Amino acid sequence: MAIIERPTPVTEAALPAPATPTRTFGALRRPVATTGWKSWVFTVDHKKLGIMYGVVAMFFFIVGGIEAVLIRLQLAAPDGKVLSADVYNQMFTMHATTMVFLFVMPMAAAFANYFVPLQIGARDVAFPRINAFGFWTLVGGGIIVNLSWFFGGAADGGWFMYAPNSGPVFSPSNGVDFWALGLQITGIASLTGAINLIVTVLNMRAPGMSLMKMPVFTWLQLVVQFLLLFAVPVITVALFLLSFQRNFGATFFDVSAGADPLLWQHLFWIFGHPEVYILILPSFGIISEVLPVFSKKPLFGYPFVVFSGAAIGFVGWGVWAHHMFASGLGPVSVAVFSIATMAIAIPTGVKIVNWTMTIWGGKLNFTAAMHFAIGLVVLFTIGGLSGVTHAVAPSDTQQTDTYYIVAHFHYVLFGGAIFGLFSGFYYWWPKMFGKQLNERLGKANFWLMVIGMNMTFGPMHMIGLQGQPRRMYVWTEARAGEGFFNIAFWNRVASIGSIILAFGVLLFLINVWKTARSKQVAPLDPWDARTLEWMTTSPPKEHNFDAIPTVHHLDEFFHRKYAQDPVTHEIKQVATAEDIVREQEANADKHIHMPSPSYWPIILAGALPIIALGLIYAIPVAIVGGAIVVLAMYGWSLEPSTAPDTDFDPPASGEGTKELAPLG
Amino acid sequence: MIRHSNQRSGVRMSKSVRRIVATAAGLSAVAFLAGCASNAPQDTWQPKGPNAQKIDDLQKPVFAIAGVVGIIVFAAIAYAVFRFKDRGQPIPEQTHGKPVLEIGMTILPALILAGIGVFTFQTIFDLAKTDDTEMVINVTGQQWWWEYDYPVQEQYGITDPIITSGQLVIPTGTKVLLRETSRDVIHSYWIPALNGKRDAVPGRVHYLRLEADEPGIYAGQCTEFCGLSHAVMRMEAVALDKDDFAAWVKGQLSLAASPAEGTLAKEGESVFLNQCVRCHQVNGLKKADGSPAIAAPEDNVWSGAAPNLTHLMSRNTFAGASWDLLTKECRKDVWGASSEEFGAKYLTGVTEECLNQTDLRRWLRNAPAMKPMYADPTKLEPTDGKYRGMPNLGLTEDDIDKLVAYLATLK
Amino acid sequence: MADAAVHHADHGHHTSTGLSNNKLGMWLFLGSECLLFGGLISTYMIYRGRVGEGPRPGNVFDIPFTSVSSFVLLMSSLTMVLAVAAAQKRDDRGTTLWLTVTGLLGATFVGGQVYEFTAMYNEGLGYTTSLFGSAFYTLTGFHGVHVTVGVIMLLSLVAIIKRSKVPGDKAEVVELVGLYWHFVDVVWIIIFTLVYLIPT
Repeated sequence: MAIIERPTPVTEAALPAPATPTRTFGALRRPVATTGWKSWVFTVDHKKLGIMYGVVAMFFFIVGGIEAVLIRLQLAAPDGKVLSADVYNQMFTMHATTMVFLFVMPMAAAFANYFVPLQIGARDVAFPRINAFGFWTLVGGGIIVNLSWFFGGAADGGWFMYAPNSGPVFSPSNGVDFWALGLQITGIASLTGAINLIVTVLNMRAPGMSLMKMPVFTWLQLVVQFLLLFAVPVITVALFLLSFQRNFGATFFDVSAGADPLLWQHLFWIFGHPEVYILILPSFGIISEVLPVFSKKPLFGYPFVVFSGAAIGFVGWGVWAHHMFASGLGPVSVAVFSIATMAIAIPTGVKIVNWTMTIWGGKLNFTAAMHFAIGLVVLFTIGGLSGVTHAVAPSDTQQTDTYYIVAHFHYVLFGGAIFGLFSGFYYWWPKMFGKQLNERLGKANFWLMVIGMNMTFGPMHMIGLQGQPRRMYVWTEARAGEGFFNIAFWNRVASIGSIILAFGVLLFLINVWKTARSKQVAPLDPWDARTLEWMTTSPPKEHNFDAIPTVHHLDEFFHRKYAQDPVTHEIKQVATAEDIVREQEANADKHIHMPSPSYWPIILAGALPIIALGLIYAIPVAIVGGAIVVLAMYGWSLEPSTAPDTDFDPPASGEGTKELAPLG
Repeated sequence: MIRHSNQRSGVRMSKSVRRIVATAAGLSAVAFLAGCASNAPQDTWQPKGPNAQKIDDLQKPVFAIAGVVGIIVFAAIAYAVFRFKDRGQPIPEQTHGKPVLEIGMTILPALILAGIGVFTFQTIFDLAKTDDTEMVINVTGQQWWWEYDYPVQEQYGITDPIITSGQLVIPTGTKVLLRETSRDVIHSYWIPALNGKRDAVPGRVHYLRLEADEPGIYAGQCTEFCGLSHAVMRMEAVALDKDDFAAWVKGQLSLAASPAEGTLAKEGESVFLNQCVRCHQVNGLKKADGSPAIAAPEDNVWSGAAPNLTHLMSRNTFAGASWDLLTKECRKDVWGASSEEFGAKYLTGVTEECLNQTDLRRWLRNAPAMKPMYADPTKLEPTDGKYRGMPNLGLTEDDIDKLVAYLATLK
Repeated sequence: MADAAVHHADHGHHTSTGLSNNKLGMWLFLGSECLLFGGLISTYMIYRGRVGEGPRPGNVFDIPFTSVSSFVLLMSSLTMVLAVAAAQKRDDRGTTLWLTVTGLLGATFVGGQVYEFTAMYNEGLGYTTSLFGSAFYTLTGFHGVHVTVGVIMLLSLVAIIKRSKVPGDKAEVVELVGLYWHFVDVVWIIIFTLVYLIPT
């Protein structure tokens, strides 16, 4: 039986008549540029925003990476002199903050923005202007967090910012203020992004795409967005309490007033633990796309991967206190959270089994993307297993706050989250830019990163189990032990490893640069992919699909390309990607009305850092920022999301226009 | 067809998998042994008391199980990677999974974890017991040192409270309960050889059991990030057998004697009275007019406390156990002593020839240069003019000579 | 707040859930808000007994007064329902009338809260007096800001409807503001019960 399905052509009769155009009431005329910087800055196109998310995230990855290398240089030898205690404390605080909030989250958002609409066969996200607002808000938040370096020192309380050490007495510089307000702003970005993507996924799937026919990447992004939706307000509360204490004299964490410092820890980790899954699940999603493609097999146990992802999302809310096993909770709480934490290992284990079984019996093609995906499975397994050792609360009391934990979460986050993102770069690059990253450089990039990462973080297991705590600006020979393989040795190895790792990342940047200069155009479907995002041109047109496809299968695109012979059971190619795209073009929708660019998102987003700076330095400035917010909101609300048909050339009501360009 | 090839591979798997497992196990064993052989003083895998032992009994099997699971997973992946490489084989059947296998692979880890869970439960409650306590010590953290306060416990000869710092001294074979709190930010008390860590949180009292089997010295470190000098906030627990402990208690209860007139130490005493006594108490020290000199750290230090120096030379460290009072050789002698000899060596304290003059003088010359502290008098606005740590006292070399001579008398 | 409708909703395309994008978005936003208030309410519940030297909750609360202002806010939910009903009947006059009444009732509540805060401050409960004070003002202040934002949205909506400048579906915009308004009311019922009625 042929599994190819012809999409039902959307006839013109099925299209409703365009609405009567409303006039634009915003104070500003709409931006109309389709090229040049204005076409990026004022864009509401999810693909352009996705690329901009990626660029900004990559910038912060480099910033955070430089911070990491400085940290390792300081710790390469006993009594390091590279950084002072004060600068070191700022450095590790900002390294974590940058990597978590300004690299992994935005990079995952980059992929989500670009590929979720494409994977579900939509033309954009549900709220394109909010999407643009989210991006510019993230930029503003990132700037505020990092500005502190130039205004008297960055935050120095660790990314967990435990009270009371984060209070005005113990951290007198403005660093913590910048940090709290900056994260508050990035929180707004995450929250709006979450609402946007959830609505997009729930409401805008192509006809026939039931939830259980959705690609796994989209599924796990959906779980992530729900986690964000409920986790962000909790950190918002915590950050408000912290800011109010620092700036308005509130007493929330003032022990002399009777406050309980553990309140902060609970609030922070109720956010912080779901946050861990927010960081890792997008990468799980990416490799759940990559492994099947390069194994020529569907993902093994799709429903199990989906449900285990959802289960992680749920159980992830009940394990926060495992970050607090040593903080004196009492044995009952510790026992309960210890067991809950072990429980979360089960759905995670299910995923490892499914990935292994996906490649098992496949036809494996070891591209750079596949390298990173398999690398993730292996490295994440190491991190997951060391995670089980500290789910066991009593052994955690020996391991927590030592380098063993640093090793654990770098295996999970570097080996897991970041390897997944790199897998995504190599897999989706041709889709996003129409050019393939160099595979040979890609594999070299992979091996340098694997070696560097294992040399950097592997020894940290040893360092930690031998008793070296984290967050130490110096370590001493006196506690390093004897023999050749002592803490000093492993610290040196880790520092050398970090340099290798840095070269690995550099190789990636070189690859990007070389690819950008190369003239070689990638084929339409270079990987023989399985999902809808490949069923259009590369890079996709502004409206993504000429005709919205009707979905009949999980892995729709693959099913359109291949059919199984009913007698021999052999699977044979019956159509090429080019055939399918050409056919789509032939049946193109007549009126494709895309949301128009707008000034308001960037204006509204730009007001937020002004408010933040005002709160720190001069309240009147904050009031000016607030006024801009109010005005921008009015302007925004009064501006229809789509320019009226008459603003287009040729007019939107005209015949035979495919892509509508706003008047220049 | 797919199933057929699976069966075939199943047979072939066992051999190569076994080889991979053996190699991986061997390699990881070597790495682990290498890692553990270094005898680091804070090694978490070398328990020296029943509490740490309980943790160790739990964690070693967990590590072993995790290791075995890891090896199986890696072997499976390695096998798949080599076996199923694209060598032109036909496109595999588009199978979507085997629910039986999935459910089995869900239940299996659940069972393993349930097993671990039972023992975890038991150990958590075992370690939380307090009703069999034999001795209580109050432990207070502040930036960046620990204070130990022994409440009156006649059965150990503690007839008056003892206040000390840097080194926690406990009798062997005794179930000691630490009552932890903090005077400023959160710290965490951790002697890996004796037990896991427990945070010292301001406004709360947390309990931690310690018990040492053998006399000896056990290193530890603050493990909750506590600000600028977190990295050098160290501690040591010293276990003495019962007789030695009694002797130590007796020593600690004595008052400091004033040095003989005309000695350098006597001059040092007056430097101490001029400068140090503002924060540091020395029990028995008298002012020139004969009235007792009472330190007032609450007026000068944000946490309201500074180490009591009455028996400074009875301990081997200073400045929050950040530096040794003993020279390298003497330190090696004490740390390396057998458990029989240890007590006597420790109770000797810091003798003239063993005193680490270099570091002590460096400290007196400019403490914040050695250990970063909030001690710049021009930047004390957030703390109402109080220091966090010890400021640079601006002592002359002459004063330092005198002061060292005096401090050396505080046995 | 709510983004105006995009193309798909504009043209009455059906969505997978049957809810319009805007409405689904609003529900999700309110779901997130639950956690925000959850965090603030938890903080208050933990700290409400920690009064230090300052006044106790029982000393500063004027329950009859707050009951009346709570009743005013509850009534505004009723008028909001009437506004939504009128909007669905495309009755612009009715819509603007009931929206105005809702807005005025909301403003009355905010006014009551300002009065209440002033009275409490005069009785010695400042923002920095005690943990109870900090937590109380933060929680009720956050709620008050939500009500204020709601009032601004209601009155702006009245102005926009009068000048028929509503982008997209008018009835839906009214309904969206209504959803927000009801949510803010429900949160107040919870706050009023937990903060004022349950004795410490």
